[in-house]
Amino acid sequence: MESFIATGLIGISLGTQYTLLALGFTLIFGILGVVNFAHGGFYVMGGYVAYYCNVILGLPYPVAVLMAMLSMAALGWLFEAFILERVIEDHQATLMVTMGFYLVMATAILMIFGAESPQFPFPVTGVWRLGGIYFPYANMIVLGACLAAIVFVYWLVYRTNIGRGMRAMSEDLPVASALGMRTKALFPFAFALATGLAGGTGALVTPILALAPHVGDSVLAFSFLTVILGGLGSVTGATCAAFIVGLIEAYAAVYLGGSKGALTLFALVLIILVVRPQGLLGREVRRS
Amino acid sequence: MKLGLGRLVCGSLIASAGFVGAVSACELKIGVPAVLSGPAAQWGIALRGATEFVAKETMEEKRLVINGVACTVSVKSIDSKYSAEGAASATNAFAAEGIKVIIGPVGSPEVTGFKPVATRNRMVAMVNSFAKNSIGPEWPTVFHIGPGPSGWAAPIIDVGLQRYKFKTAAIVAPNDQGGTDIASVNADIFKQRGVTVTEEYYQRGTTNFAPIVTRIMASNAEALDLASSPAGDAGIIVKQIRQAGFTGPIFRLGGPGTDEIARVAGGLDILKDFLWYEPVYMDDNMRALEQKYEKLMGSVRPENSDFFRWTFAARMMIKAIQAAGTIDNAEKIAAAMRTLPVEDEHIGKGYWIGQKFFGINQEMSYPFAIGVIQGGVKQPLIRAEAVSEK
Amino acid sequence: MNNRVPKSLPAEIRPSLFSGHDWIALAIVSLTFVIPFTSTNPQVLSQTNLILIAATAALGVYIMQRLDLMSFAVPSFMAIGGYTVALLSMKLQLTDVFVLAAAAFLMPALCAIPLGALILRLKGVYFVLVTFVLTEIVQLLLFEAGPITGGSNGLVGMPAVKIFGMELWDNPHVLLTTCGLAFVSFIITSVFTRWFRSEFAAIETNDVLAESLGLAAWKYKAMAFSVAAGVSGLAGFALVNMLLTAHPSSFAPMSSVNYITYTIVGGKASILGTLIGALLLVSATDYFALSGEMSPGLFGLLIIVVTMVARGGVVGVVSGLLYRLAGQSPPLENGEHYLVVNGEKGQ
Repeated sequence: MESFIATGLIGISLGTQYTLLALGFTLIFGILGVVNFAHGGFYVMGGYVAYYCNVILGLPYPVAVLMAMLSMAALGWLFEAFILERVIEDHQATLMVTMGFYLVMATAILMIFGAESPQFPFPVTGVWRLGGIYFPYANMIVLGACLAAIVFVYWLVYRTNIGRGMRAMSEDLPVASALGMRTKALFPFAFALATGLAGGTGALVTPILALAPHVGDSVLAFSFLTVILGGLGSVTGATCAAFIVGLIEAYAAVYLGGSKGALTLFALVLIILVVRPQGLLGREVRRS
Repeated sequence: MKLGLGRLVCGSLIASAGFVGAVSACELKIGVPAVLSGPAAQWGIALRGATEFVAKETMEEKRLVINGVACTVSVKSIDSKYSAEGAASATNAFAAEGIKVIIGPVGSPEVTGFKPVATRNRMVAMVNSFAKNSIGPEWPTVFHIGPGPSGWAAPIIDVGLQRYKFKTAAIVAPNDQGGTDIASVNADIFKQRGVTVTEEYYQRGTTNFAPIVTRIMASNAEALDLASSPAGDAGIIVKQIRQAGFTGPIFRLGGPGTDEIARVAGGLDILKDFLWYEPVYMDDNMRALEQKYEKLMGSVRPENSDFFRWTFAARMMIKAIQAAGTIDNAEKIAAAMRTLPVEDEHIGKGYWIGQKFFGINQEMSYPFAIGVIQGGVKQPLIRAEAVSEK
Repeated sequence: MNNRVPKSLPAEIRPSLFSGHDWIALAIVSLTFVIPFTSTNPQVLSQTNLILIAATAALGVYIMQRLDLMSFAVPSFMAIGGYTVALLSMKLQLTDVFVLAAAAFLMPALCAIPLGALILRLKGVYFVLVTFVLTEIVQLLLFEAGPITGGSNGLVGMPAVKIFGMELWDNPHVLLTTCGLAFVSFIITSVFTRWFRSEFAAIETNDVLAESLGLAAWKYKAMAFSVAAGVSGLAGFALVNMLLTAHPSSFAPMSSVNYITYTIVGGKASILGTLIGALLLVSATDYFALSGEMSPGLFGLLIIVVTMVARGGVVGVVSGLLYRLAGQSPPLENGEHYLVVNGEKGQ
């Protein structure tokens, strides 16, 4: 029983990380119709910016996280406005461009910071324990930050004019533009919001796991999995799916082992998608 | 396509011109298939750094003189991408330039792709990789820079058993050739010493190891071996298993990288009781080698400590070329290599081994070191004598 | 074969089977047969080999693109084809190149039928993801099925393949095998995609409409998926034959991204685009590998620049330019005839 609960806690930790990543990913897809292959790059680079601010410059950790979010939002804005915007009508071109940008980002990190992991500790150590059940304090803080991010995204998407505009555009872009929505301004904004979230996630998560130039690779696969399972463009769906993926991954890996666990996770996702092709909370399929 | 064909033809002309040039003057060109991108990049950077250093050293000190002419030595490195195709394609590129002497590659998939191409093109090579078939009688001109766990896991486990009491151990490694080949060798050695072993394999690309850690905790293992898990992964595993309350000793029987593991895990305190294989015993000789590198190359040596083994390997190759008196006859160089004693000016004497494990006596065995961290404090390295099969 | 006109549609709608681009692509692929006989340079042989394998694999992407589906499943089917060949030659001593090629095509094609029944209902990004997950699953299965596939070590030590009892073992002969496989794949792909081009175009434009008008869309989708799988299997055969090893790392899930890149950067509208994309990008990768750590970044930069500058891929832009120089309007590619006839494309 203890290990069952402990595994559940692991699943929840995984779920929070996946939620943070999936929120940005799903926003970009929902609004711009772009599958952002560079998402993992913003995550890693956010981690390195936070590391640079916190460890090299000696700024307090929360400031470093903020810097990571802001700088990645700025980079995302620039990337969207100057590169992605030019090919935004062609979904496959956006895929190529974001993929290329990911390679450029990963290489830049490798050239600047080297191939080996630096020491980037989370400022809070220590573990909460009850019998065989444990939960590191750092993971609790990330869970808290994740909840805050979810609330923020909901507030932004459902309670503000910007959010209404973004949702209108994701429902029907031509109509929204005809009604006077300024897509030119909202697209980079939405993209910056998402990459800022990715950067912040990197700043929060890499210290509890590891910071290295290649850690963005697997981020992409899991964001992809989560977002599709939840239903593309659905914030609620992505959140639910993130926790489902996290829990399945945890239980499958603990009870079946690393390799068979991964197999189970992928097979389950495959089955869910075959049964419910539009995802858990998805709506009409967009073309890619 | 006309352009493409034209380029191919041009390429072959230039390549054959280079080949002719290499024969007339004494210009040794060493091919280095090194992984320079992706998670394993640091291994390739150490390999490339060592070979470039030895090339410069050879020229400055005129160590390679054939028919009375001091040879120039240049290094051509190509990213072999830690894949069989990458290494095969790099090796073909070397072959096109008439390069016959190869130092590298590093990883098991690369060595798998490299060997058939190298043999087909009559090259002589010094490879790494901990795979069970890194070298063998099928590839008579392929040499191994040093033993894998079959050579050094046993003495390290013995040191661990002297210091800590454990009857069960868990081995964790990625589920590919780079992981399974080492984990299974380690498992056998643990078992020979009466330790019950469970093996855990994870999917490469895993970033959160909490589930694997939970499994290990449930197996009630008293010791852990990280085998050849990449340093970044190993660091997270250590961090998370200590958070889960694991207090036993941790082995790292799969290559260097302890500093990086400590950085990721969050310091030596977290490693607590930790034993690892260190390719060289850091003494004044090794520091002298480090300084020589700095003086010659104008920068600090590559951080990965396999740099040293690659340096010894590249020097051995130069000696074999000198002894053979040819820079392009792989069979002659290989034959000369077999007759030379394993010896290096900085590390001292070693042995040729490999007959027992690989069926061919072409593995260099030098003294190595056992690293120990006890109670969060780094202990002096324990010098371990070169493994010999005699 | 190119002059056969189907009876069901008037000749002006189905002019000739192959377009100019198809002929150029087939001509280039058949020209590569010369290389094994004229060159002994290992670099030339190996580069041609890699380019042909890449182009053949990317055909799997090209075929699915006819249906507006982006497939990440190429490495899975390459693995099925490649491992089939390795097992047949190692366990059953079957080394005849024709038998092996047939097996490398049929085995993945057969596997694709039940799979297709499951996943071809999906569209857009959902299809992308499911095929992506599929490659991950195949990779894990290769590991878990150790007794058959050799697990993480793969299957090493294949015997050389034979043609009419003659061994094809050295560099030029290995390339000759690849040339043959690539040529067969290009023929199959161009005949298949051009033969059904109007059906595919209808499904690509609007499959719901096409279905309601009586076109059995699922039948064409299943056929396309199956043929794409078979062609990928042939690429897997060529790769395994080149390395003399069936190794799981040769079929890594992320390699699917490369095949997609070849098709799109080259120009997804015609089969020539796939070939040119593979030629350009494989050469670029090889060239960039010399710059070590920088190589992935340079490759990324190249993809961005080509995508931004050459909309419609390299082939699209170049042929557009050529026609403008000649003062003509560019001809229509796959399936567009059909749309013009139906008045849906007004330029």
